Amino acid sequence: MTPVGRIAPGPVMLINSWGLALCIISLCVLFLVGTALRSAVRVLRYWQPGSDSNLQIELENEIWLSSTLVEYGLGFQMVSLLIFIMAADRFAQMIKGAMCATGSLLANDYGAPLLVVKLTGIFLYGFWIVLHQLDMRAESYPLVRLKYRYLLALFPLLLLETTLQTLYLTGLSPDIITSCCAVVFGGDKQLGQNLIGGQAGWELMALFYGLALLLFSSGLYQLSARRISPGVTYVSGFGWFVFFILALVVITIVVSSYIYAMPYHHCPFCILKAEYDGIGYPIFVSLISACFAGGVTVIAVLLRNVDGLEETAGCLRRFSIRFSLVMLAMFLALSSWHFWAYFIMGGEY
Amino acid sequence: MKINPLQRQLNLLDYALSSLWRRRMKNGAILAIFAFVIFLLGSFQLLSQTLQSSAEELLAFAPDITIQSLVAGRQTPIAANKIRELADMYGITASSPRIWGYYFDHDNGANYTVLGLTEEEIGAMTGVILESGRLPGAPGEVAVSPAVRQSLDLAGRSAFSLFRPDLSQASFKVSGLFSRETDIVTGDIILMSLADARHLFAMPEDMVTDIGVKVANPVEIDNVARKIAGRFPETRVLTRAQIRKTYQVVFGWRSGFGSVCLLAALASFVILASDKASGLSREEKREIGILKFLGFQTTDILALRFWESVVVAGLAFLIGLSLAYVHVAFFDGGLFKPVLVGWSVLRPDLSLAPSLNGADLLLIFSWSVLPYLAATIIPAWRSAVIRADTVV
Repeated sequence: MTPVGRIAPGPVMLINSWGLALCIISLCVLFLVGTALRSAVRVLRYWQPGSDSNLQIELENEIWLSSTLVEYGLGFQMVSLLIFIMAADRFAQMIKGAMCATGSLLANDYGAPLLVVKLTGIFLYGFWIVLHQLDMRAESYPLVRLKYRYLLALFPLLLLETTLQTLYLTGLSPDIITSCCAVVFGGDKQLGQNLIGGQAGWELMALFYGLALLLFSSGLYQLSARRISPGVTYVSGFGWFVFFILALVVITIVVSSYIYAMPYHHCPFCILKAEYDGIGYPIFVSLISACFAGGVTVIAVLLRNVDGLEETAGCLRRFSIRFSLVMLAMFLALSSWHFWAYFIMGGEY
Repeated sequence: MKINPLQRQLNLLDYALSSLWRRRMKNGAILAIFAFVIFLLGSFQLLSQTLQSSAEELLAFAPDITIQSLVAGRQTPIAANKIRELADMYGITASSPRIWGYYFDHDNGANYTVLGLTEEEIGAMTGVILESGRLPGAPGEVAVSPAVRQSLDLAGRSAFSLFRPDLSQASFKVSGLFSRETDIVTGDIILMSLADARHLFAMPEDMVTDIGVKVANPVEIDNVARKIAGRFPETRVLTRAQIRKTYQVVFGWRSGFGSVCLLAALASFVILASDKASGLSREEKREIGILKFLGFQTTDILALRFWESVVVAGLAFLIGLSLAYVHVAFFDGGLFKPVLVGWSVLRPDLSLAPSLNGADLLLIFSWSVLPYLAATIIPAWRSAVIRADTVV
C-alpha cells in the first residue's frame, strides 16, 4: 500500500500551533529562569547579611525579582504541562495508529521522558517557592544561599526539558506507526483481566489502600503528637513519594478501566477527555497536591531549627499536613468512586 | 490593623484599576494593539479548528477504500472491469466505479468538481440533503449546489451546457439543488451519472478515475486494503482513515505555518509592551515613591503591577477573542480563509459554525497572554524597587 501521509517532510509537528505554543512557553520560562539565574550568581558571590552597602541593598531588591520570575515560571510550567497533554491528544489525530495521548507520547523515544521531566519540574519549582516564602518571613533571609544553590541546580533540568521537548516535536512524524493505549497498557494478559476479578488487581488495590491508610494515620499522629518526631515525617515523606507512583499505576491499570466501563481499556490520559466529564483533572490535581503537600511537610520539619524560622516552619508543617490529608481524601473519593460503584451497585453510575 | 489576604488583594486590584484609568491613553493603546494581536491569532486558530472538524464531513463522498491507478507516480484512468477481480475477495460488500474530476469554467474562472457515480450509488447516497428536486436519474440530469447554479448564471433556467475537451458541447439539465447545510461538502459539486461524466470528459469506454470499495466490517478496512494492494500492485489504495489523517496533517501544518507568520506580530507586540512598561514618567516614579512612603512594600507594588497586567491581558483576551469569533462566524474568516482553504477557487458561501472549546482557549491564552506577562515582569520589578527618597 502506498503511504499517502507524506505531505510535508521535516518537523511537521513543530510548526503545528500546539507545538509552537509549547515552544513559546519554553522560551518564556527559559527567559524568566535565566534572568533569575543572573541574580542567583550575584547573590551567591556577594551576599553579606550584615552589610548595609549599596550592593547588598541592590541584591536584596534582586531577590524580589528572581522570586517573582520563578513564581511566574512555575505558573507557566503548569500551563505547559496541561498544553503538553492536550497537544499529545491532538497529535493523536494525525499520527497513524495513535488514538489518544498515549500513542503520541510513545511515537518516539522522547515523549515519555519529557512527561516525567515536566511532572518532576512542577514539584521542584513548587518546593523552591515554598523555600522562598519561608525565607521572606524571616528577618535575616536565612535560606538565601540554599535557595539560590537550589535554583542553580534547577537550571539543567529546565534545559533538559527544553531539549527533550524540541527533540520530541521534531521527531514526531505523521508517518510513524505507533500503538494505541489498548495495545500499550493492555498487552499484559494479567492486567487485562482485572475487571473480571484478576488477582493482580486486588493485590494492587490492597497495597494502594493500605498505603493510603498508613499515610492518613501518620498524618493524624503528627498533628496530635506533642513533640515533632522527624523520623515519622521522613518515613511518611518517602511514603508520599511511593504513593504517587503507586497511584499513577493504579489509575492506569485498575481505576481507569472502571471509569471507561471497558475491561480492556487502560489508559491514564483518556480519563481527561470530555467523554468522561474530564474527571481526570480533579483526580490528578488532588493527587499532585496531596503528594506535594506531603513533600512540603518534610521541608518544614527539616528547617524547623533554622534561626528565625521556628514559628513559620511550625505553622507550615501543620498546614501542609492538614492540606495533604484533605487532598488525599478527595483523591481517594474521586478515584475510587467508579471502582466501588461497580462492585457495590453492580454497574456504571 | 490586620486585613485578610483576600481583602488586601482586592484593594490592590481596586487601586490597579484606578491607576490604569488615570493613564487610559497609554493603556488603551496597549490594550487595542494586544486585542488586535489576539484577534489575529484567535481567528486563525478558530478558523483552522472549524475547518478541521468540517474535514470529517468532507469525507461523506469518500468510500471506505479508494483504488486509483498510477503510472509514473501520477494518477491515470483505471479499467472499470477490475471490479470483477475484486468480487471474490472476502469482506467487500460492494465496489463501484466512479469518475471524479474538475471542470474549469473559462467564462468565470471557477473550478467545479464533477462527480459521476453509478445509478445504484446515487440511489444509496446518504449524508446529502436536497433543497429541491431530486437526485439525477435520467441521462443528462445533474444535481448542483446553489453556488454552482449562481456561478453558471442559470437564474430560473435549468438547462446548461459544458464544453467537452474537443470543444463540442454536452448538455445538462438541473434536476436537483443541494441544500446549503452541506455546503462544505457540496459547495462546488456537479453530481451526474457515470455515463454523463464519461461523456463530458471524453474518457474511453470502461475507464473511470477510481474504484470505490465498501467494506462490511470497519475494523477490517486496513486488512482488505492490504489485500487489494497485494493483488493490484500497480494501484494506489487509499482508506478513508488515511484521507482523514491527511486532512488533519494538512490543516495542522497550514494553520501552524500561518501562526509562524503571526509570530512576528506577537514578537513586535511583546517588545512594544515591555518598552512601554519600562519607560516610567516622572509622575509614575513619584507615585511609587509616595506609595512607599505610605508603607507599600516591594511585594505590594509587584502585586499592583501584576493586577494591572492581568486586567489589560484579560480585557484584551476577551475583546480579541470575541472579535475573532465574530470574524469567523459572521464573516467566514475572510482574512485568512484563502490561506487555509486553498484547493478550489469556488467555495463562495461557506458558512462556518466555530466551536470554542477549553483547549483552544488555553492555546490562544498561552500564545498571547503568557508572553505578555513574561515581558512585563522585569519592568514591573524595576518600578517596584525605586527608592522612595530618590524620587520624592
